[in-house]
Amino acid sequence: MDQLLPPEIVEAGRTFPAALAACSDLDALLRLKGAFVGREASHATRLMELLKTAPKEQKRELGAAINGLKQQWEEGLKARQAELEAAKRKLGALAATWDPALPPPQPPCGALHPLNRLMDRLVDVFRPLGFHVEEGPEVETEAHNFDGLNIPEDHPAKASSDTFYLAAHPELLLRTHTSPVQVRTLLRVTPELTARGGIRFLAPGRVYRKDEIDPTHSPMFHQVEGMLVGHGIGMQHLKGTLEYALRALFGPDTEIRLRPSYFPFVEPGCEVDVSCPLCGAQGCRVCKGSGWVEILGAGLIHPNVLTYAGIDPNEWSGWAFGMGVERMAMMLSQTPDLRLFFENDQRFLKAMGGLD
Amino acid sequence: MWIERKVLAQEIPAAAALDTRQLCEVLAALGFPVDGVASLEGTESLDVDITANRGDAMSHRGIARELAAKLQQPLAPIATGVVPEGEALVQVRLEAEACPIYATAVLELGEGITPEAVQSFLRALEASPKRLSAVDASNELLLRYGHPTHAFDADAIRGAVSVRWAKAGETLATLDGVTRTLTERDLVIADEAGPIALAGVMGGDGTKVTEATRRVLLESAWFEPKVVRATARRHSLHTDASHRFGRGADPAMVRVARDLLVARLQAWCQAKLIGAWTAGAVPAPSAPVELGLALLARVAGEAVPLAAAQEALSRLGCVVTVAGDRLRVTPPSWRHDLSIAEDLAEEVLRLRGYEHIPSVLPPMEGPPEHLAPGYLQRQRVARRLAHLGFHQTVTYGFVSPEADALFASPDNPAAGRTLANPLGYEYSVLRASLLPSLKATAEQNLRQGSRQVQLFELAPTYRSTPSGPREQVTLATVWGGLLGGEDYLSPARAVLEADLAGLARDLALPGLPAIHRLSDGLFGFEIELDALPRLQDRIIPVFRPFSRFPTVERDLSLLVDLGQSYAALNQAMAAALPTDSLLELRCVDVFRHKSLPEGQQAWLLRMRFQADRTLVGDEVDGWVAAALAAAESLGAKLRA
Ligand SMILES: [Zn+2]
Repeated sequence: MDQLLPPEIVEAGRTFPAALAACSDLDALLRLKGAFVGREASHATRLMELLKTAPKEQKRELGAAINGLKQQWEEGLKARQAELEAAKRKLGALAATWDPALPPPQPPCGALHPLNRLMDRLVDVFRPLGFHVEEGPEVETEAHNFDGLNIPEDHPAKASSDTFYLAAHPELLLRTHTSPVQVRTLLRVTPELTARGGIRFLAPGRVYRKDEIDPTHSPMFHQVEGMLVGHGIGMQHLKGTLEYALRALFGPDTEIRLRPSYFPFVEPGCEVDVSCPLCGAQGCRVCKGSGWVEILGAGLIHPNVLTYAGIDPNEWSGWAFGMGVERMAMMLSQTPDLRLFFENDQRFLKAMGGLD
Repeated sequence: MWIERKVLAQEIPAAAALDTRQLCEVLAALGFPVDGVASLEGTESLDVDITANRGDAMSHRGIARELAAKLQQPLAPIATGVVPEGEALVQVRLEAEACPIYATAVLELGEGITPEAVQSFLRALEASPKRLSAVDASNELLLRYGHPTHAFDADAIRGAVSVRWAKAGETLATLDGVTRTLTERDLVIADEAGPIALAGVMGGDGTKVTEATRRVLLESAWFEPKVVRATARRHSLHTDASHRFGRGADPAMVRVARDLLVARLQAWCQAKLIGAWTAGAVPAPSAPVELGLALLARVAGEAVPLAAAQEALSRLGCVVTVAGDRLRVTPPSWRHDLSIAEDLAEEVLRLRGYEHIPSVLPPMEGPPEHLAPGYLQRQRVARRLAHLGFHQTVTYGFVSPEADALFASPDNPAAGRTLANPLGYEYSVLRASLLPSLKATAEQNLRQGSRQVQLFELAPTYRSTPSGPREQVTLATVWGGLLGGEDYLSPARAVLEADLAGLARDLALPGLPAIHRLSDGLFGFEIELDALPRLQDRIIPVFRPFSRFPTVERDLSLLVDLGQSYAALNQAMAAALPTDSLLELRCVDVFRHKSLPEGQQAWLLRMRFQADRTLVGDEVDGWVAAALAAAESLGAKLRA
């Protein structure tokens, strides 16, 4: 009798029990029902069309076969529907007895290091102003770390009591600040400075100084360097940028204060205070009652630094700043001991780090 | 430097009217923040932070000068009667350009000690009085006026005095009792028998003033800052005198300081002046520096009238003339830090106050630059790992040679990565691998009671090359302890190598990295970040059509030898299956139990098929049979 039916319907009929069993919910069952006995374009409607056009002598036998198949499908669908409905009721009952106070499985939760988070945050803050990130090696040359930054030949920072040197390469050292990234970047972009319209970037990274490990000192720490070179850049642009950035970081009511200071690679130089973000400048332990905390050093790029990189200081000028990441992290978090940032206790990292 | 308020007020009377807080604010606005306030000897002293370029401010007079300029108040005159100069009693020869002027005097000491007020001043500034008038007077002058002087026992000096370069190998026993071997780059004061002082640094022990001293020879000179700095560093001998000379003393103070010293000894211990004379002369001031109106306006952020700039610089002691739109400025003798126009612009701004600088965002002159792919890559990897439960660590870049050797490859010798002057042996080698640091950190966390430790670090590792250590940003992860078991649905089990393999796959590593067993139940791997696939340039990849026909899934449970290679079996079975219809072939369960035949295990292999048509059962049955035959050819059997 199967020879009277189209082969694809025979195959569909053969796989029907498996397809029925595979329906894991009522939606899937409805789809299967549509395909087999639905009112349009189903196996059943096709069979009925077949019956209409069949030769008279075959109609009786074919009709019986078709009815058998349809009955088989409908019964199967009905039985499976009853099963699935019962299962659904049972699941509902189970859900009603679930105790939500039982501790559920916890998705995993790690953390970025707080120092990295703070550096990432600074990058986010400066991105809208058109700053990108420049990086440089931690093993540097004396030329990049000192000479290119207008640091005199006999500066005490060069002494082996302050700076780590490589035994096999006396001209190499571990950079003592992120400022050599300034030198490298300026040297690289000098030929295209006019075409690109100056440059502005941040340079976050690790730096090394020969300090014994104690609650406020570490031989390795992090800095974020910022630099901008353009036409007619003055102290007002430094102030404007830092005001924008520090308000983005600490809140819109934040005030900043510039004080004269000295760093060999800038002129004029300044230190920048921010109104104490912990007490709202009311005076607290962190700001020693003054309402201000020192946050970074900055200034206009010394003409010698531009000249070293081959940039004409009569045409171009710019500003630079350098910020201690640990210092800011300790101030904001009131972490009492710098060493905690390098011990990497998971409890500390989880509490101080977070995911973004 | 400690500044005592009463003495400061003697230099600038207007300072007496300021309370301590106001005084601190004015000083901070001038660039001299106050780090602390102390009350000693019944008077208040301020710990004033003076930057290295401002040697001229390292005295009460120096700070008073700054306040006078800012507050526009007069300085008290320096009270000195002029000491009459005459013929040299002892010949003083200046044989090196590094000492252009040397003023001296010889006095016969009388009876008397340092006045109590001066002793109290010295104590307040933590300079203990010696009760030797000549020594105390010299110290007091230094702290008050910033010019170092020295007193020799005149009777201990043999013959003429010269200021000259030391001869290599000459020795000098300095006041601190140390005998120092000198070099040709040390400037010394010498008599005819040899050196008697390291110029500008420290006097010699053999000519020092003691209670037995009857006659003193005073020294007030000017030494080249570079020379003094080099000698102080060479001999690790940093003194109050070397700090002042090293940062540039005021040559115009040479005679004044000598006169002040003479006057004090006359007043304090009835000293009798035998004679005073000066060798050399005050060097000519350096050429004037020009400051243009345009540069000043650019630095200040707004136009500053030339007259205002001229007035500000004059208040600081500069001699200023106007030439068109420029100022020609000769700095005062005590300022050695004003050599370019920007220095002068800073002075004008400093006296006006940095609070007057306008606040302006710099205009964009060109398009912003994108973040570098390598940087974005690191951010992405760090975030992914944090979301998978890992904690980012920051550990020192240097480790002990033993720790380094654990994972350094033999072709990466530590010698090329060793520091010349490490903080200690345990911090002496730039690490070849992050794993030693992470291992130690993980073990410490487990000791602290962590149930599970999941750490990663992104940092450079170093490879020795002939031109120096090459840096490579490296990712290392360690994972150990217990997984799950903290809720009613997740069974507890130990972390296994397989978990790290899964992590490596999650990070889309090109192959399986070497997974190290760091200690019991603690595993880790490390890769150079360049090995990770780069972010795609496309935001959304090109659409690749996928089949809308249903998938067919079949499982085969196979008995295989315990030593069976999964890769070989998988490969053989896959080869027997149609590549265009096989979606996946993977082992989804491993069963090892004593109920199985000796030396065998059961693997449950799942095959998923899909094609651009409805797959027919017979067809799939045939494929599964072929895959089973391939497995059987390797010795596997269908598990009943
Ligand atoms: Zn506060």
